[in-house]
Amino acid sequence: MKPLMLQGHTRAITQIRYNREGDLLFSCAKDTKPCVWYSINGERLGTYNGHNGAVWALDIDWQTTKVLTAAADNSARLWDCETGKQLFQWDTNNAVRTCGFSYSGDMIMFCTDRQMGYNPTLDIYDIRAGEQLANNAPLLSIPIEGPKVTSAVWGGLDEYIITGHESGEFSQFDVKSGERVRNVKIHSKQINDIQLNKDRTMFVSASKDTNAMLFDADSLDHLKTYKTERPVNSAAMSPRMDHVVLGGGQEAMQVTTTSTRIGKFDARFFHLIFEEEFGRVKGHFGPINSVAFHPDGKSYSSGGEDGYVRVHYFDPQYFEFEFEF
Amino acid sequence: MPSVEPDNKPSWADQVEDLDDDVDDVPTTSGSSKVDAHITLSDEELPPPEEVIDGDTKVITEYSINDEGKKVKIIRTYRVETRKASKTIARRKAWPKFGDSEYDGPGPNPSTTAICDDIFMTFVTNKEEALNDKEEDPMAKLKGTRIVQCRICKGDHWTTKCPYKDTLGPIQEELEKSDKPGEPGAAGAKGEKPEQAAPARAAGGKYVPPSLRGANRGPGESMAQRRDDQATIRVTNLSEDTRESDLQELFRPFGAISRIYLAKDKVTHQSKGFAFINFHRREDAARAITGVNGFGYDNLILNVEWARPSNQQ
Repeated sequence: MKPLMLQGHTRAITQIRYNREGDLLFSCAKDTKPCVWYSINGERLGTYNGHNGAVWALDIDWQTTKVLTAAADNSARLWDCETGKQLFQWDTNNAVRTCGFSYSGDMIMFCTDRQMGYNPTLDIYDIRAGEQLANNAPLLSIPIEGPKVTSAVWGGLDEYIITGHESGEFSQFDVKSGERVRNVKIHSKQINDIQLNKDRTMFVSASKDTNAMLFDADSLDHLKTYKTERPVNSAAMSPRMDHVVLGGGQEAMQVTTTSTRIGKFDARFFHLIFEEEFGRVKGHFGPINSVAFHPDGKSYSSGGEDGYVRVHYFDPQYFEFEFEF
Repeated sequence: MPSVEPDNKPSWADQVEDLDDDVDDVPTTSGSSKVDAHITLSDEELPPPEEVIDGDTKVITEYSINDEGKKVKIIRTYRVETRKASKTIARRKAWPKFGDSEYDGPGPNPSTTAICDDIFMTFVTNKEEALNDKEEDPMAKLKGTRIVQCRICKGDHWTTKCPYKDTLGPIQEELEKSDKPGEPGAAGAKGEKPEQAAPARAAGGKYVPPSLRGANRGPGESMAQRRDDQATIRVTNLSEDTRESDLQELFRPFGAISRIYLAKDKVTHQSKGFAFINFHRREDAARAITGVNGFGYDNLILNVEWARPSNQQ
């Protein structure tokens, strides 16, 4: 395969996401301008200019009309996907670490960091309600006690939010009551990424403790473990095959301090059920920070600490490959 | 002289351009270049670009003047591929660009989009995994062997980490232990080398004037009070603050010193960073070399070697 290399960012990529149909690929980085690309040929459609700090996360609603970004400039912003105009800006006390649209696209959530004496909060807004936005009065604001949230997604039927914490634990928050419904701790270190599968019944987590794990999204039951020897920054499930792709590698800050040969920055493919690695794809010069599968499962993308997004269209060998068991 | 270069394998740069034009044409198509030829023309005018679409092939002919002032005809042939997409995707394909891409032309901008070299997914079977494990082994092997050896105490650590680093004691003890001070083990070899090298240099290779040939020099030798360079060592990488007394202190333990010359700046009287030490006995000098070479002194690692006779380069 000949990957497309997207060089729109000047700093490390923090997250990449496809829209629902997969024709657009969104990327955000530690620079200030999230980008949107046509996934078919790597053409850049535009950038969302306005942030003043690193953009930690972004999300797209299911209709591909709005983009939500979470940034370290103490704001979360809502953009018009088509024109790149800013629709709304939430100002917070702290850097916003993660954000997400509900499946319906009507509600959004974002979670702030613990900094400067402020505790993290998980804020939920209904973006149809003008008064909530105008008064900066969230539908629900859940104060997070304990370790801060590093990754969060909306659960199955928009009834709860699954959060991954700095300590490696997962929590489920009820969107109506704001209560912490469940809390499990299986990972031993920070959760870097949570991605749901296609039908949103399971999610795969990527953790600094060098493992990725598969969980049931409702019960938070631990199902599978994918072991590597490096911190995992991101993991995604194929919508087409029983495959999981993990991106990670040595921590960026430690890359120059070790004498081992470079590498280990490959994207690694595991079988979802047998937990065994079957393939690797090289290419990045640094650790991979975010991976995403195209919704049709025929291609995947990875964004790395090197600032590049690489879009890979699988060769026929990938589809012909059968896992031996 | 028209030259045609049929290019079956276009470079990656060309490919980006190709995709470029291709998307320009039909929003929901994709294609690839088949031929890329450069023809040098001798005409003066630049004909307008042509575009011919024939079935599923599209041929674009462009003319331009290259750096040498020659006209270049570029023929690009594309295969037009129509892809069916849902209405929403087709609509999004027609969206105007915005933000930093606002002024980009249609198609991918080569500055933001590049096509990489072919890479393949490496499939890992259990066998390969075993191989991988073997590859890991060299590092594990190295763990057992000693990579570093301390010059001071011969321990398994860097010299700078040596607990005895600031004391010359251990070296001297060791030197005393060894019977022949001229060749104490591995470190002694360092001292030996220049000894052998010096006569070799005089004997072979370079032209040596007859007056200097052989062991007993002829009557050409006029300077009667020639210093004996045989027991002179050169110390380099000294710090600027070094004084002769410091050197005296440092080298005194190895034997009697006849003379210390510390190179100093004429104006500032600061050390230039090197010094010559004349010992009375050559063995003392050799011991000093093995003992102090590589010794950390004033944050610098001293380099001690035999001084080369000043009259021959």
